[in-house]
Amino acid sequence: MHLQTYILRRVLLLIPMLAGITVVSFVLSHAVPADPVTANVGEQAAADPAVVAAFRHRWGLDKPLYQQYLIYLWNLTHGDMGTSISTKQPVLLDLRQHLPATIELAIPAMAVGIAVGVPLGIVSAVNRAKAIDEVARVVSMAGVSLPVFWLGLMAMLVFYAQLGIAPSPGRLTASIVPPRFMTGFLLVDALVARRFDVIGDWSGHLVLPAIVLSLYGLSRITRVMRGSMLETLDEDFIRTARAKGLRRWHVIFRHAARNGLIPVVTIIGLSFGDLLSGAVVTETVFAWPGLGLYAFSSATSLDFPAIMGVGITVATVYIFVNLLVDIAYALFDPRVRVG
Amino acid sequence: MTEDARNSGRTRVTRRDLMRMVGGGAGYWLTRGTLGISLASAAPSDTLVTGFSFDIKTLDPGRQLENGSSHIGHATYDSLVTFDGADLTTPKPSLATGWKVSPDGKTLTFTLRRNVRFATGNPLTSADVKWSFDRVRYIKGNGAFLLNGVQDVLAPDPYSVVIQLDAPHPAILPILSSPVLGVLDSKVVTQNGGDASPDAKEKDKAEAYLNDHSAGSGPYILESQTRDQEIVLVKNPTHWRGAPSISRVVVRNIKEPATEELMLKRGDLEIAWGIGPDEARSLRQTPGVTVKTAPALNLLYVIMNNNPQVGGPFSNPKVQQAVRYALDYNGILALAGPGSVRLAGVIPTTLPGALPSSEAVKTDLDRAKQLLKDANPGDLKGQLSFSTGNVFYGVQFGIVAEKVQADLAKVGIQITLDGLPSSIALQKYRDAKDQLGIWAWAADYPDVSDYLVFVPGRTVGKRAGWPADASPDTQALADLATKAETEIDNAKRVSLYQQVNRKIAEIGPFAPMFQPVAPYAFRSTLRGVVLASTWFIDYTTVKKG
Repeated sequence: MHLQTYILRRVLLLIPMLAGITVVSFVLSHAVPADPVTANVGEQAAADPAVVAAFRHRWGLDKPLYQQYLIYLWNLTHGDMGTSISTKQPVLLDLRQHLPATIELAIPAMAVGIAVGVPLGIVSAVNRAKAIDEVARVVSMAGVSLPVFWLGLMAMLVFYAQLGIAPSPGRLTASIVPPRFMTGFLLVDALVARRFDVIGDWSGHLVLPAIVLSLYGLSRITRVMRGSMLETLDEDFIRTARAKGLRRWHVIFRHAARNGLIPVVTIIGLSFGDLLSGAVVTETVFAWPGLGLYAFSSATSLDFPAIMGVGITVATVYIFVNLLVDIAYALFDPRVRVG
Repeated sequence: MTEDARNSGRTRVTRRDLMRMVGGGAGYWLTRGTLGISLASAAPSDTLVTGFSFDIKTLDPGRQLENGSSHIGHATYDSLVTFDGADLTTPKPSLATGWKVSPDGKTLTFTLRRNVRFATGNPLTSADVKWSFDRVRYIKGNGAFLLNGVQDVLAPDPYSVVIQLDAPHPAILPILSSPVLGVLDSKVVTQNGGDASPDAKEKDKAEAYLNDHSAGSGPYILESQTRDQEIVLVKNPTHWRGAPSISRVVVRNIKEPATEELMLKRGDLEIAWGIGPDEARSLRQTPGVTVKTAPALNLLYVIMNNNPQVGGPFSNPKVQQAVRYALDYNGILALAGPGSVRLAGVIPTTLPGALPSSEAVKTDLDRAKQLLKDANPGDLKGQLSFSTGNVFYGVQFGIVAEKVQADLAKVGIQITLDGLPSSIALQKYRDAKDQLGIWAWAADYPDVSDYLVFVPGRTVGKRAGWPADASPDTQALADLATKAETEIDNAKRVSLYQQVNRKIAEIGPFAPMFQPVAPYAFRSTLRGVVLASTWFIDYTTVKKG
């Protein structure tokens, strides 16, 4: 099948998938044994039936469940994701404000993960059982085992509080007035407004949380890259390449690594999906107002429209990332035929 | 032809050039970072940066509930009365310069301050006060209950406001200090969808506007709100007290107390609250940072259930008493941190009607065991429910639950822990399904009458399966409570509340543990930083050194 047809088919499949996601999100969030009234109306206020009734009516919670779902679906097809019970803003606006912050963090974190993880995995495999391999294995084991909460706080303690080389937690320094909100991506909004002071400040603030966030993915990539390389290096065609007299690094990079990368692409895709869904713990520690924080607060306050909105967003992200991974397979490995 | 020869005619970026750019960029960032910290971290002298963990759901005064929302509301709106600093016992004039209470206690007449203008320039008159109060009553939001018992609000002339009550209600005066009852610019809010008619709960659409613009006469104006991130306030130059000395306040959402601690140390935050005893201890040893504590109008208690079907053995009063004797209060106070206070009843120490800590039940394991033997309740097993998501002034509910479990095990009571996510735990508690629970009661307003929720048949009493008609004793207590809240003579009032408090401590299905203290910290160059538990920091008193 032609690649373009394949992509088109996968994108069209998005629609029934999202419909399914809305059903699952709706059912699960309503199955929780708690009432949004409890989470949003104060104790004394809730003692007044008129207040409870007004709340339910305002948020459409006095309608039968199936009607609530259908109304939601109808609005969704018109681009309206409802209004958040917590922020009182349209959910779409909340997502437009929170998602860019997460993406801004996810991309550098992924870049660091790949830029460090892939070479480390390769070098580790090639120098198996030597010092560099042991170090890489310990580091990657630590990266997947140490809780990110602790790592984040330690990083802040050392690099921010004690050494003073990292700026304060948050997207920007408090005394800087942010540029006017347009896309939500500070880099873009700052460029449009010609606020170059913002760009410098923003990039500084990105470094520490991005590095902390990258560690888990980096470790996974290193481990899978190493394992995959070890397998590949044992293959016959590698022995042939060496026998042909090709230089060592030519064999490793042009032949072994290209083949070894294939399972790593899957890991990269999964890691990127994880990062884009928002890392609530890192965002909490670094005061980063991203999707993770939004997802957490909407879950705890039983904010149904927000929960559905987050569910749809995260599902869409994963679907697209998986699609990119499959396309990458097709590009990397000529044996793979899509469809 | 080699690759090099092919490329030699074109300009290309060599690896060396790339290294230079990357190295230069990194170097720039590093030096900018190290230099930038000492320059940028000190905010300009007319900007104040503060931080806490936001619980803000709306900036519409009429719909607010959370202390965080009150914090912003107190800066942007004025109320009829207020409190100075941390003294929450004596209401002081604010928009009202004076007030009179009728002999029967049912009518209050307020004289309004003249020549007050909203930040918009519109004059503030009694019509705005009436409009704002009617709106709170009729939109039936989270704040409506504050005006329970108010029959009508009248504006007989532009500088008088009359509040007519169903029954005497001395608590109404401290209640009026609440930012929920802040006075809104009725013209501007009406233009933006506001409604104060009896149909306001359908018709009022002003919340979206009020979330982005303040419409008050307060010392500060809301410049912007970025959800989950920060709120920026700028001074109101025409405020009737005079423009505040700090021109701009950036209030940041910092969810993690350890992060607050580090930012304070570096000077990136100038005032922070919501820190726990661990952070307070560390900050006390930091030069350049001052740590203080404020009494919190809150208490942590164990609730048991009087309904035999829910409470099981814990519905037995002797077992309840045994639980009170079995708890190791010294150990619990140690968990709570320095400054927290043992409570003899349910009323916090700073409110009238509180009992001296010396009257509090003391740990007595022998007496507990004896009571259990006398009660002979059979299987002494119970489930202790609590919210896993919540931290109470730096103490996790789960840690307290484990302590209670360990203490009760010493007298032979076997407790299983039932930790639940916050909304589910809260639901179970509100549905009166907790056999045992650990909960807190934060005052909705700085008046002792709020703590009557512990009386049989009232809010918390219901949660404990304790109706007013359970027995002649409970009915007498319920009646005593009604008497206390309508008593206008202050001395009699205090005495009645003490009696109520003692009775609850004696026969109530509760084990009050402690009243916490709220630590807060600020850069030592600041003056006038005082925390009040109702609205945290009042920025008009803060001055930069």
